Amino acid sequence: MASVEKALSLLKNLPRVNLGNLKPLPGRRGKKPDRRGQHGGKNRGFGDGANNLPRMGFEGGNVPFYRRMPVEPYYKDHAFRKQYPPLSLLQLQRLVDLGRIDTTEPIDLTTLCNTKVITVNPHLKHYGINLTDEGADIFEAKVNIEIQWTNEIAIAAIEKSGGTITTKFYDLQCIDAMVNPLLFFNRGIPIPRCKLPSMDVIEYYSDAKNRGYLADPELIRQARIELAQKMGYNLADPSQDPLYEMLTKRKDPRQIWFGLSPGWVVNLKHKTVLKPNDPELIEYYQS
Amino acid sequence: MFSRLATSGFRIYSSLRNTVVRLPAAGYQSQYSIEKLYPNSSLDFTSPNFKVHRQLTHTQTENDKFSGYIPVDELDVRYSRSSGPGGQNVNKVSTKVEVRFHVQSASWIPDFAKEILLQNEQTRITKDGFLVVRSEKTRKQMLNQADCLEKIRSMIWRASILPREPTEEEIAIMEKRKSRAKQEILREKRAHSLKKRMREGPGMNSL
Repeated sequence: MASVEKALSLLKNLPRVNLGNLKPLPGRRGKKPDRRGQHGGKNRGFGDGANNLPRMGFEGGNVPFYRRMPVEPYYKDHAFRKQYPPLSLLQLQRLVDLGRIDTTEPIDLTTLCNTKVITVNPHLKHYGINLTDEGADIFEAKVNIEIQWTNEIAIAAIEKSGGTITTKFYDLQCIDAMVNPLLFFNRGIPIPRCKLPSMDVIEYYSDAKNRGYLADPELIRQARIELAQKMGYNLADPSQDPLYEMLTKRKDPRQIWFGLSPGWVVNLKHKTVLKPNDPELIEYYQS
Repeated sequence: MFSRLATSGFRIYSSLRNTVVRLPAAGYQSQYSIEKLYPNSSLDFTSPNFKVHRQLTHTQTENDKFSGYIPVDELDVRYSRSSGPGGQNVNKVSTKVEVRFHVQSASWIPDFAKEILLQNEQTRITKDGFLVVRSEKTRKQMLNQADCLEKIRSMIWRASILPREPTEEEIAIMEKRKSRAKQEILREKRAHSLKKRMREGPGMNSL
């Protein structure tokens, strides 16, 4: 296009931006003050009427717009409340039975969103998926699942069937990436490193009873035995299991997808992965 | 599996369908990786802690005391439909749980506790000596099974409480309480006696 070429040639030939060659946009200067009315400016009154305007937002005495809106305590901090749209064990079992989920690979937020059975929208403060206990009695699938919220019965149902479950926290930017990875990769942004949980949920994710990703593995091991004794089932010996490697696979706390590290840029068009070279960037993404 | 992980320092991931890729021990590791947060913990969180397991089963065979562990394999668990209202759900779903086991042949209960258990829970024990526990408390089979086990566990705990001598502290506390109660009684007696004497009015010998 001619305009593009012109713009590029200008960029090439013109001197660099400098304090000496800046100019305001046409029409910005020379704006004369409004001389009308009681409070108008430019040389009128003693001391030119300094401080002659009332406060911003004043409307002559009636209750101004910014004070007309009532405040209700019930929605206090609503923007900070985390929501986890539910997915039941029944739905999960159905997906596995119908072959919509591959149980030979770990199950992730991305896997579950790809099935289109559940919609997770980070703009609505959805911080992931809540695995509910509906269908716990009939659940049989052996899976390695990673969700963001769950309860004791759901954990028991999964471990009873020989699987593993982990609760992992993702911040909203990561949720946005995970929910639609193709869209994210097309943006050309490096894979973000996942933030640590905020104060309201860090205890949840550090607790072995919730199989939190920040909990001590020794405590998780104990919690598994305790839950099995409480609910009345036997824990299968995992070392005999051919799927042992897959079942014990876990992400790093800063990692979003298996096999991809934070800082990498995935180029789907050319089927390449670009990794940072700069030592500062490498250090940042490793921390 | 655990020793292989510890000594070789490698972790095997299967990234593609049928190939096995050997990656160095740190695939991607940030400063908050679990290995750095808990350096003394084995990463293998799935395998039951066999040391603890052995301890539990060992104490049971010695018949010292009940450790709280119940081997689920040795229980006979049966499912059936629950009673009560609930429409189609209660008619079709097997949520009632019945757990039974033979008390005398249970190796996981100490012998002295078995005798007490047979006495305490006479109403739950069949002619053949099976202890039967049922639950249809909740709408979920899993929770009902947990309830049954909870009942069994608490029965056995109660049956395995050994009578023990009171400690020196406990004896001292009991003595103190007895003496205080005695003093209180005497105080009341004196007050009552005074009251009665006052009613009699002044006698020959008083001023």
